[in-house]
Amino acid sequence: MAARALRRSNPITLLLGLLLFLGFLIFMITPSSPSVPRVGSKSRKSYSGSYDAPPVVHYYLNNLTTSSEPIKNREKVLLLTPLARFYDEYWANLVKLNYPHDLIELGFIVPKTREGNAALVKLEEAVRKVQTGKKKDRFSGVTIIRQDFDTPVAQSEKDRHALAAQKARRAAMSRARNSLLYTTLGTDTAWVMWLDADIVETPPTLIQDLAKHDRAVIVPNCFQRYAENGVKKVRPYDFNSWHESNDALDMAAKMGRDEIILEGYKEMATWRSLMAYERQEGQSIHTETTLDGVGGTALLVKAEVHRDGAMFPPFAFYNLIETEGFAKMAKRLGHQPYGLPNYLVYHYNE
Amino acid sequence: MPRHSHAYSNGHASYGPGPSNTFSISPHRFQPRTQPALRWRRQIIIKICLMAGISAVILLLIFPSFRLILLPSIGMSSFLSDDSHIPTIRHYDLSNVQGSARGWEKEERILMCVPLRDAEPHLPMFFSHMRNFTYPHHLIDLAFLVSDSKDNTLPLLVDYLEKLQADPDPHQHFGEISVIEKDFGQKVQQDVENRHGFAAQASRRKTMAQARNWLLSATLRPYHSWVYWRDADVETAPPTILEDLMRHNKDIIVPNVWRPLPDWLGGEQPYDLNSWQESETALALADTLDEDAVIVEGYAEYATWRPHLAYLRDPYGDPDVEMDIDGVGGVSILAKAKVFRAGVHFPAFSFEKHAETEGFGKMAKRMKFSVVGLPHYTIWHLYEPSADDLKHMERMEEERLAKEAAEKEEAEKKKKMQESWSSPRDQWEQDKKAIDAALKEKEEKLGGGEEGPHVHVGDDEAAAPKVGLKAGGGGNSDA
Repeated sequence: MAARALRRSNPITLLLGLLLFLGFLIFMITPSSPSVPRVGSKSRKSYSGSYDAPPVVHYYLNNLTTSSEPIKNREKVLLLTPLARFYDEYWANLVKLNYPHDLIELGFIVPKTREGNAALVKLEEAVRKVQTGKKKDRFSGVTIIRQDFDTPVAQSEKDRHALAAQKARRAAMSRARNSLLYTTLGTDTAWVMWLDADIVETPPTLIQDLAKHDRAVIVPNCFQRYAENGVKKVRPYDFNSWHESNDALDMAAKMGRDEIILEGYKEMATWRSLMAYERQEGQSIHTETTLDGVGGTALLVKAEVHRDGAMFPPFAFYNLIETEGFAKMAKRLGHQPYGLPNYLVYHYNE
Repeated sequence: MPRHSHAYSNGHASYGPGPSNTFSISPHRFQPRTQPALRWRRQIIIKICLMAGISAVILLLIFPSFRLILLPSIGMSSFLSDDSHIPTIRHYDLSNVQGSARGWEKEERILMCVPLRDAEPHLPMFFSHMRNFTYPHHLIDLAFLVSDSKDNTLPLLVDYLEKLQADPDPHQHFGEISVIEKDFGQKVQQDVENRHGFAAQASRRKTMAQARNWLLSATLRPYHSWVYWRDADVETAPPTILEDLMRHNKDIIVPNVWRPLPDWLGGEQPYDLNSWQESETALALADTLDEDAVIVEGYAEYATWRPHLAYLRDPYGDPDVEMDIDGVGGVSILAKAKVFRAGVHFPAFSFEKHAETEGFGKMAKRMKFSVVGLPHYTIWHLYEPSADDLKHMERMEEERLAKEAAEKEEAEKKKKMQESWSSPRDQWEQDKKAIDAALKEKEEKLGGGEEGPHVHVGDDEAAAPKVGLKAGGGGNSDA
């Protein structure tokens, strides 16, 4: 009887012992730091096991064009969105853009907040659906980046527009934009299209329409749809696209180095002429105007402007910050920003 | 036969009587298995399966890399993150690439940026430095920008890089390598005189800045933790320079840059004057200049009285001593990638009256990043003689030649003198022989004599001046 019991338990204990031993062996054999050099980035690493030195890749940036006929020249567009909230309307509008999707690369930066996490989940789902869906709808690439710094204030509508909080908020926004831009801008990017996550309606031809003007920096007019007593109307939304005024320059001259001028606040009357109010209904949508400050809700920039160094200053640059500071920096580098007062894109209405 | 019976008992029953005559190795006597035995076997199989399952799960937990091999093969790819099965979707968390003091242990990737223009002669030296880097090579991505080059820089560079990547030692291989070609239409010539002339500085610096920005913005990726800027014309630098600078864990850090000089110029000299601390004088000066003016260091036109990193060097000082600076030189900059991600770049316009690397330092300070120089940690820039130096060297060369010619002349003179010394000796020799012969004749006639030693003394005397001359010649060449 005793012999039988021993025989019965023997194979199991043996097996257990063998498994443990194998596990131990593997644990001991697998080095904590890989002895074989790892190839390339974490994302592009091949797991096939065979190791080849990465090749020498050649890029001819002299041949990169940014022209008024971007589709004909197969010019790559990098579409960038700082994403704090995910609106289905935004995504639907984005997917509807009829610039060839294989020439569009998407880039998102998502803050590490609860809101950001929620937005990320929705974004990932939407992206997965499109990138595994119809070939024609697939974008050439999607990069999703998690922000490495905190957004200072909650992004509720009321907080967002409080004057005191503006500087910190827009400085963080600038850093987010720069982080996104300088990690996704590639060697073949011709244009950078900035599209905010709360732009819910644009013409599907947005990119080629703006590119047609062949301007270094060009911005459409950002409006908002609303209903008043059941009547649907539109109103100006983005006031960051403007022409400089002497009053604002005087104001800046009296200001400290780190103070900033903001548009759309009663406490700060700049008397700048705003593109938002320059819209003439019924006129050509391709009417141009030169600008000194630009808004970032929808903004098409030639990649060379960013490559030259024009970024979104997270500090007071000529007493301007973020997209307005960007316009100033682009001008300092010799690139004149333009605006299209009659070409409308629509902001989400909260 | 015992042997026969033994064979039989070992299963040769197949030859025995049976229903079929085919060969079979079934046991001699068939015993039907009992029910409990069957149940016992089933139990064992279940247990083995269970154990295998549990161990697989444990393995998956311990080694994440197994997931990539195992999960797709059993149809559970949905448990994987996006990037591994939809190649067009990539996820990055910038919190993972902040850069730390011991980056090589955490496998932090460095983007090494090298702007090149007409740098052909420096490439062999540069690549010998590259091979010596002790930072794991596979963690270093290389980015070169070749602009406005009229010499053979590009083909030579590609040749060197391909050789490097094909090296038999896999530890020599670097990470991703990008070679970017972009011309900015620079008019200013890159020879030393022009390069350092005051008038050309502002526009030269702006174009340099533009080149740097193009290089960085095209190659910086979300997986880079550090960015290292290095000029091709560094002559001597410690191979551990990346680790040495990284250890300080600063946002931006530069070593001191000197250059060796020929002895007649003093042996060594501070080279990079762009690393400095801001001074009141310079700030006051900046206020008086117009918007597009660029202050450049090291020129009499702008006396800034700034403390320069270069002049604070003590050859025996502690190499770990840090100094806060405002402007930085571009010969060798190690910066965290987050600095560039935040938007700091090399202003190609006048930013607070500075451009390029000095403006870079100023902008970083403006964004509250730490900018530090190491006054006693020195790397050596190549010495390229300036036009003045060249003239001086030409003059020196002429002098040297003149001196050599003079020496040669002197030597010849001496030789001649020797010859003129030795020719009488020959004469004497002949005379001597004649005299000897005559004496011998005489001796033979007279039978011995005491004149012989006289002749020997004369022989010695003739040799002595020769030795003296030789010593004199040696003394001359020493002086």
